[in-house]
Amino acid sequence: MSATRSPKVAERVAPKAAEPQPSKKKPRNDDDGPAFSELFAAWIESHRASLIDSLRRLGKQPIGSFFTCLVMAVALSLPMGLSLLLKNVERLGGSWQRAAQISLYMDINASDSDGQALVAKAKALGGVADAEYIDKKRALDEFQQQSGLGEAIKELPENPLPGVVVVTPLEVDKAALEALRQSLSELPSVQQAQLDLVWVERLAAILKLGDRFVFGLTVLLVSALLLVIGNTIRLHIENRRVEIEVIKLVGGTDSYVRRPFLYMGALYGMGAGILSWGILAFGLDWLNGAVVGLSGLYGSDFALGGVPPSDGLSLLLGAVLLGYIGAWIAVARHLRELAPR
Amino acid sequence: MIRFEQVAKRYPNGHVGLHELSFHVRRGEFLFVTGHSGAGKSTLLRLLLAMERPTSGKLLLAGQDLGQITNAQIPFLRRQIGVVFQNHQLLFDRTVFNNIALPLQILGLSKPEIAKRVDSALERVALADKADLYPGDLSTGQQQRVGIARAIVHRPALLLADEPTGNLDPRLAAEIMGVFEDINRLGTSVLIASHDLALIARMRHRMLTLQRGRLIGDGEAGK
Repeated sequence: MSATRSPKVAERVAPKAAEPQPSKKKPRNDDDGPAFSELFAAWIESHRASLIDSLRRLGKQPIGSFFTCLVMAVALSLPMGLSLLLKNVERLGGSWQRAAQISLYMDINASDSDGQALVAKAKALGGVADAEYIDKKRALDEFQQQSGLGEAIKELPENPLPGVVVVTPLEVDKAALEALRQSLSELPSVQQAQLDLVWVERLAAILKLGDRFVFGLTVLLVSALLLVIGNTIRLHIENRRVEIEVIKLVGGTDSYVRRPFLYMGALYGMGAGILSWGILAFGLDWLNGAVVGLSGLYGSDFALGGVPPSDGLSLLLGAVLLGYIGAWIAVARHLRELAPR
Repeated sequence: MIRFEQVAKRYPNGHVGLHELSFHVRRGEFLFVTGHSGAGKSTLLRLLLAMERPTSGKLLLAGQDLGQITNAQIPFLRRQIGVVFQNHQLLFDRTVFNNIALPLQILGLSKPEIAKRVDSALERVALADKADLYPGDLSTGQQQRVGIARAIVHRPALLLADEPTGNLDPRLAAEIMGVFEDINRLGTSVLIASHDLALIARMRHRMLTLQRGRLIGDGEAGK
């Protein structure tokens, strides 16, 4: 009996101070109880047996187990998929941001040669990738096309628009851009240097909103996932009520009773994680064809990224953990009801 | 081994399971508890298994006060007890070997030790050749013997049996009682709740008689 053995084991580990310490190792006899190594091996064996038993039980109901995993996988895929899409949009936003430009509006009387000189001076500054001069006529043509005020503008006695030098910066950092704008505004012939980052800020705000949406959705779907796991484990508990009662009557502790269900929860989570990874990889690949086609129409070579291995592993680990936690909550809730009758 | 001191059990619905019961069971003793249905036999066993707690009085088992025991201590208390049920409570999806091995797996014994002890328990109940069968493949008497083997495999200090011969014919019942006596001869205290007075009388052991939760007799059976 373990109850009578346990104190002896404890005494071996921490002998009483008053007792003389034998200089030689005392030979073991059968009444000493199992050694630590035996207990550890038995503990490992117990976990192995619980894991195999849980696998066997899941394997006995392959369709039911698969659909449970699939429901969980869908719940995991939605927030994870949205998160990956947002990351892609951020990447796209980053490439646009690199195309952020500073417009240098010249004096109204500045000539084309002043414009070319300004281009040369701008290019000579650090942090400028490129600079292009747009003369007054081209500026007017573009304005007529974009504003829809073509006829009205034609009535003007003279062209009211100045020449513009469009500067493409090297860096995308907002502070660096502002410093560059300041330097450019001090160049001769420049009346106004305008840095337009409003659209970048708008995109950032949209992405922030998207992040919050994904977070809210994640919380909701994780709760749903815990309920799915909890309900599944509750059914397993109901099916094994007699076994649990017998285990408790022959001295099984709560942790012994809980163990196979925790493995089961973790296995459901692992199955769901693998399925979810597959769904996301397939889904992003499927979407990518359309995205590449669309971005090609805009002259971009943008393509959706797949599921990075680190994100996939995090998804898998998170799913296992969620399965484990869901099972823990379910068993903890029902353990009291499992008292032998 | 067991000491009941004015132990009473009253249920919230007003039913009284036991009235101030007092008796003492020595280590290694063989004892019957008898009485009609509702006499309190099952309540007594449930108290000993810490499935219920006494409402008043003191109940000691191997020196432990079962009225004060914590929930965490209960599994370790039960490891000192073997239990045999009238309906066997076997797990039909496990082999005979695995049914009997269950208490040893819970104790965390090594595989070779479990195999050794299960084989020994199976020999003691004369089922050595049935280890790989499932309980559904066995007769009722054999199933009861598997239940006994599971109850004794971890060498408990006390063996409790609730109507262990209730579903058996007289020949099988006598055979099962013989197994209990063999176990008792090895030093295990045995407490059997039964209403089979004819069988009890033949065995000439101490017998407690309960009636409506009260102890009305304590003496050797058959006298």
